Amino acid sequence: MFKQNRFTVSHAPFWHDGDSIKTMNLNIMAAAIPATLFGVIQFGMAALGVICLSIASAMAWEALFSVAAKRPIVIHDYNAAVIGMLFGMMLPATVPWWAVITGTFVCIIVGQQIFGGIGGNPFNPTLIGVAILALSWQNIFNFDTALVNYQFTFTALDPLAALKHQGPGVVDMFPLYSLIMGNQVGAIGSVFGAGIILGGLYLIIRGYIRWEITMAYIAGIILTAWIFNITDPVKYATPLFHLLTGYTLLGAFFLTNETSSSPVNLIPMLIYGVIGGSLTILIRNIGAYADGTVYAILLINLINPLIDKIRPKAFGERV
Amino acid sequence: MIKRAFIGLTKPKLKCDLVEPGPKEPEAIPIPPRMIFLLNEPLDSTRESLIKQGDMVKKGERIFLYKESQEYVTSPVSGKITSIAPFTGDFGKIATYLVLERETKQDIESNFAEFAATPDIETADRYLRGTPGDPPLKQLADPANHFKKIVITGVDCDVMCTTRQYVLTRFRDEMPKALTLLKQMTGIDDISIAMPETMAKLSAFNGMNLIKVSSDYISSLPPMIMEKHLGIPFVPGKESRDLEVCFISVEAALSLVRAYEAKEPLYEKIITIIDKKGGRTRVSATIGTPIHRIFTQIGVETAEQDRIIIGGPLRGVAAYTLYHPVMPDMDTVIVQDSSEIPIVSDYPCINCGKCVRICPANVPVNVLIRYLESNLYQDAADSYDLFSCIECGLCSYVCTARIPIFQYIRLGKYELMKMESEIETEADNV
Repeated sequence: MFKQNRFTVSHAPFWHDGDSIKTMNLNIMAAAIPATLFGVIQFGMAALGVICLSIASAMAWEALFSVAAKRPIVIHDYNAAVIGMLFGMMLPATVPWWAVITGTFVCIIVGQQIFGGIGGNPFNPTLIGVAILALSWQNIFNFDTALVNYQFTFTALDPLAALKHQGPGVVDMFPLYSLIMGNQVGAIGSVFGAGIILGGLYLIIRGYIRWEITMAYIAGIILTAWIFNITDPVKYATPLFHLLTGYTLLGAFFLTNETSSSPVNLIPMLIYGVIGGSLTILIRNIGAYADGTVYAILLINLINPLIDKIRPKAFGERV
Repeated sequence: MIKRAFIGLTKPKLKCDLVEPGPKEPEAIPIPPRMIFLLNEPLDSTRESLIKQGDMVKKGERIFLYKESQEYVTSPVSGKITSIAPFTGDFGKIATYLVLERETKQDIESNFAEFAATPDIETADRYLRGTPGDPPLKQLADPANHFKKIVITGVDCDVMCTTRQYVLTRFRDEMPKALTLLKQMTGIDDISIAMPETMAKLSAFNGMNLIKVSSDYISSLPPMIMEKHLGIPFVPGKESRDLEVCFISVEAALSLVRAYEAKEPLYEKIITIIDKKGGRTRVSATIGTPIHRIFTQIGVETAEQDRIIIGGPLRGVAAYTLYHPVMPDMDTVIVQDSSEIPIVSDYPCINCGKCVRICPANVPVNVLIRYLESNLYQDAADSYDLFSCIECGLCSYVCTARIPIFQYIRLGKYELMKMESEIETEADNV
């Protein structure tokens, strides 16, 4: 009897399509590069510093928490890196270093790890960080004061803040083409609309985000803003202005789609997206905040588990 | 292994391989000196067994473990039993394996011959269980089952398998005999033949009910054939026999025909061996031949940590030894190189939704897996359609977090079945 080989014994299926959390996250980060790169060119090395610090501190927080919770350290899946990168993209380039580190702490620990880590978070962790930071230090997200020392060749006003305070008369100061090409005051990764759309389309084609949510969110924005706009064009801005300013595009392609806090069935995805888009505009047009994206998405995260119960009948279930 | 396409917007489609044009005749594997059989009954040390180490068996003799045993294996050679030991399979299923040393002098027992002139299901069940293709004779003979339809399947149930297609193509001229025999044995007139839709030379099947199955993966699974082609809706938790349909593989049907013609059971099973490079060799080996014999003869090499897959890559089982014998239902053996083996993880579900998109049964896999991971099997079955799963394995195939979803589902079903049977036994004892 010859020496037997020891074989790998496991259960079916014996094939896998080769995808992994790491691949997915690397793709999301790659898709975020055009918008981020533009931010770095626009706002200088300070922006690069913010992005790097944000990614690094997010990964460090996750590693620290894993040690404290006696869990294996899994920062090599880039889950924390994605959260950190998106968080950095939502900050102004001049944000103080401590705000970045505090913010990523909130994102990673409060937003995700205390719920059990990856897959357990009921809310988008990035937005938890942004929301808490915005509530605690209001001025951080005041892009007009944050970027006051920059010399821009275009209107150096945060379009949404200008809209809030001065009404739709300001819309003419922001040509749409100029907005989509990134000529606006805002966060590092949110100003370059064309770059976000490019990255987002890449993710849709690769199947890493659910296009239904993105499309429904954009539809919600356009529809609600259009209704407001036709009822009173003097008071409310046009849909495209809303679409190309603030965090709208970032929200549509990168934030509403966060896997664990968004629905997976078709009808719920559409409801979720449309409600998200409408809420964003409602907050902007009626609410107290200039940009409603963050709170709107956190609110739809809240209804996600409920609406995701709407699903097709399973095979053989006739009732 | 088929990897994810660059464009992931649409869900991946797996195609079942079709049998190659002009297939070669299977290579015959000589009967080895030592054979291994699996007897589907656990060893019980408190009972006196009928067979012992050192007993002689004749060719064609049915080997029973105990006096009251219903399960048997038919020995394809005469020889001496050298070892009897327990064997543990999937989900702790316990069987018994027997090792037989072949003798040079071959004695033949031919009890079956006297019944061969008048085929009926009872004698077939008594003598022909475990012929190549593993005909479901026990189910057919069980008076509790009321079969109304028989489907002879000439399609394989997994992506790389082609054995049944080969048998149907190669022996298509014998199909009328198989139909006549099955009708005669069971009294069921409604017999159809499931075949790949690309099948040519259909003239051989004149006048038969044909089911043309697409080569998309899962179209060939029994629940899909019933739902799509027979108009019998799938009922969660019920098997095809509960819905009065009997599926019998084309090889099984043909081995019954040959057994009645030759007046003795048949032992040669046709198997497709797929080596690490994907090369296919078809062999014909006697049931009970350890697979290392086949590998040695056709030159298939295996190394440490490779995987030996019996069945297909999505629904098969892994063997842990090359001494695993050829079984009546073993259609395909695949050798997977250790570098090709995907690693599963203990990540939680990240809710990416790929499983929900690909699930052909609309099972909410993302929620179901959370319940199954927490051992809440009853809730999983009541609220999240555990029993609607038709066990295709696609959810695990696409899972980004690499959770062994398919295994969790089978475990959940198994645990619930076990609980149910325990409750029944308790109720019987009261």
